[in-house]
Amino acid sequence: MAQVKLDIFRYDEAVDAVPHRDTVEVDVPVTMTVLDALETAKAEVDGSISFRRSCRSAICGSCSMNINGVTGLACKTPCKSVMNDEGVIQIDPMPNFQPMKDLVVHMDPFWDKYTRLKPYLQPADRDEDHETERRVSPADMKKLVDAANCVMCATCYALCPVVSVDPSFAGPAAIAYAYRFIEDVRDGKKKERLAQINEDYLWLCAHCYACSYCPKHVDPHDRIVDVKRATIQEGVMMDHPGPRHALVVNKTIKKTGMLAETEVIQGTVGIFNIRGLAKITPLAIRMAVKGKMPPPFLRPIPKVDEVRTIFESLEVPT
Amino acid sequence: MIKHDVVVIGGGLAGMRAAVEAAERGADVAIVSKMHPVRSHSGAAQGGINAALGNTAEDTPENHAFDTAKGSDYLGDQDAIEAMCEDAPRQIIWLEHRGCIFSRLPDGRLAQRPFGGAGSPRTCYSADVTGLVILHTLWEQLERFKVKVYEEYFCTALCTEDGVGTGVVAYNMLNGQLELITAKATIFATGGCGRMYAKTTNGYASTADGLGIAFRGGVPIMDMEFVQFHPTSLKENGVLLSEAARGEGAHLLNSLGERFMFKYAPEKGELASRDVVSRAGWTEIMQGRGIDGCVLLDLRHLGREKILERLPQIRELALDATGKDAIDTPIPILPGMHYTMGGIETDKFGATRVPGIYAAGEAACVSVHGANRLGGNSLLETIVFGARAARHACDYIKESGDVRPSERTLKAEQERIDGWLSKNEGVRAPQLRAQMNKTMSDNVFIFRNEKELKKAVDDLLEIRKAFDRDVYVMDKSKTFNTDLVHAMEVDFLIDAAMCVANGALARKESRGAQARTDYPERDDENWMVHTLAWRQEGQNPRLDYSRKVTITKWAPTVRSY
Repeated sequence: MAQVKLDIFRYDEAVDAVPHRDTVEVDVPVTMTVLDALETAKAEVDGSISFRRSCRSAICGSCSMNINGVTGLACKTPCKSVMNDEGVIQIDPMPNFQPMKDLVVHMDPFWDKYTRLKPYLQPADRDEDHETERRVSPADMKKLVDAANCVMCATCYALCPVVSVDPSFAGPAAIAYAYRFIEDVRDGKKKERLAQINEDYLWLCAHCYACSYCPKHVDPHDRIVDVKRATIQEGVMMDHPGPRHALVVNKTIKKTGMLAETEVIQGTVGIFNIRGLAKITPLAIRMAVKGKMPPPFLRPIPKVDEVRTIFESLEVPT
Repeated sequence: MIKHDVVVIGGGLAGMRAAVEAAERGADVAIVSKMHPVRSHSGAAQGGINAALGNTAEDTPENHAFDTAKGSDYLGDQDAIEAMCEDAPRQIIWLEHRGCIFSRLPDGRLAQRPFGGAGSPRTCYSADVTGLVILHTLWEQLERFKVKVYEEYFCTALCTEDGVGTGVVAYNMLNGQLELITAKATIFATGGCGRMYAKTTNGYASTADGLGIAFRGGVPIMDMEFVQFHPTSLKENGVLLSEAARGEGAHLLNSLGERFMFKYAPEKGELASRDVVSRAGWTEIMQGRGIDGCVLLDLRHLGREKILERLPQIRELALDATGKDAIDTPIPILPGMHYTMGGIETDKFGATRVPGIYAAGEAACVSVHGANRLGGNSLLETIVFGARAARHACDYIKESGDVRPSERTLKAEQERIDGWLSKNEGVRAPQLRAQMNKTMSDNVFIFRNEKELKKAVDDLLEIRKAFDRDVYVMDKSKTFNTDLVHAMEVDFLIDAAMCVANGALARKESRGAQARTDYPERDDENWMVHTLAWRQEGQNPRLDYSRKVTITKWAPTVRSY
């Protein structure tokens, strides 16, 4: 047994103008989880401490919260791994959500992201009275398995810096869920799904890998990359700045061995997109004044052939 | 006031399957749940779901029904068992065509694994996250049909007018308001009640809600003494390690390194039915062949690849709780409370004795599991009887007249809750929960006897009285008041525990999960009857044995594995 001091964010949206903090001390075995400690604190010390929990075995996704500033499942975090020398553990609600009470947040924006993606199988044939299962190879099913492990705990959504600056971004979890249908051979709406996810700002993902910190190893970042790749392979929304940006970066590096920034900007915005170009002109002028304007044309680096060989060996025939 | 034709209480597998069935039939249906549906404890089901598809070996629904009847120790109603096993393949295909991610055979058909007490490998699965993938598939169908879900609404009471169900009263957790939810048909699918015990595989939310509500509304509760103890739960936190481990070939070892199961079940060994394996494991521990109060689940010979492919979740759960990696170390396990075979009494269509009130899933007792449930049959029951209850509710609402809202029930519930909130001293529900947990774990465990059961009955009656007299809620907030919700949960759990203890004390025989050391034999002459418990305010329930077990094909015989 050891004394754990839970330093908890306290707030009630109905009555509190600002949040405050309480420290609650409980005696628990240090092998116990942060959720166990919270549960003990609520049962024995202060019944008003509020948090969501259900399964306590990392499968229901209820108890995601910030523990010492890092989002994760309280039921999967042993106290001993997070308490400091004084036994203190700091507990806060998930960021990127509006707090409701203590560690409980308003989850609606997170669920709305799923709803927009029509998260249900839309088979090509609509006849639903079948005698037998559809045949799906183990390999095709295996592609879906990692994404299927998602418990919708919203840890990745809370950790996502893009969501924090632009709440219209679908967020990692919903994109991973979309992937689960996009890659399902039984689904008949692949292109429509890709178009929708492009509308939901798929390309805002900055590939920072924050969402790779996933309690269930779903690794939503890899699924985002998969969805982006599928968008290009399927030729969906190719007039969108996202795919255009990806392709022109690819093209200039292959051509010169370097990032040709001028060409990338033109390629992303579009040479004939007068309004788009006009919008970035002030930036270009300021960059030119500061001497930061990249040269309009680049000479290929020495041994650019080696770069091209790398590209060729990586390119998958489609 | 909220009003729908059909209201489903609970958003787990049974509840969502019911709601989707009603939606497909064009009914005005809504779900009322204390959690978002994907948080439901159905998602924690690991091993699989049974259906006689015969994909890997010869199998028929009749074989499935026989195994289930035998597993039930002949207390299951065989007409309901046959109906379930007959419908099983169709329901699995239904799920598959809605996108459920089942594991596959090389030829693309659904894979099936062996499970305890089953004559053929008939358990369809998705690695060891079967409950989760089915839960997601059904939630997706809710999204597809745009079924209204009243999320984080805690139901507190059943409404009846002139003996007919008219809906429920529910507490809106977001703003602390009690609301009347009026419905022509109400389906309870609120899951189990593991939290009456100290150690359970069940999550915090498995608190007998629907059971307690129906019980108070005048619906009898059936066969509650039959509590399943799962043979393989973790000592540290009670978390489940799926039967799929043994299905895939894991061994159970005692402190001598001996595979002890063949002493108890010469043919099936580790794949005997759960009551048999739990008693065997506990006997080994009691006779001094355990290790720190546990026996060992050994997966090592399965090899890293198979463990990571088929059992990744349980490997991680064991690793998180014990620090031991099942790939190279046997995991200490012991039997833990897992499932209640009993529940709200229904007929084989999911209807209770009160018109307009239905129940399905673990909350219900049809009974298909009798005295002991087979692994893989609980998910099946949720799907089959969720759909059935909705089908019959949809037929019922076409005939039944309009229902009027039960304002008096709303008023009574408001007074009950205000009473708890207005008090500032007395006893808090978590303290009473701890007392209940202790007496249930000490006195109503795997092996039972009169002395201990009497002690439990007496303790529980005291706890019941203390709750009714002294309980108060510390949190006075109207926002997300889980202190209040937990008090209501404990209230229901005490009722459910009283049904378990009283039923166990009265049933003077050993059958399935009820093992009486003072009555070690099964007594078919006197006890081929179901236990019906009726609520009596502030007293032990009244027990009634008027419902006989239905036998269709299989007369009770000696049961061995």
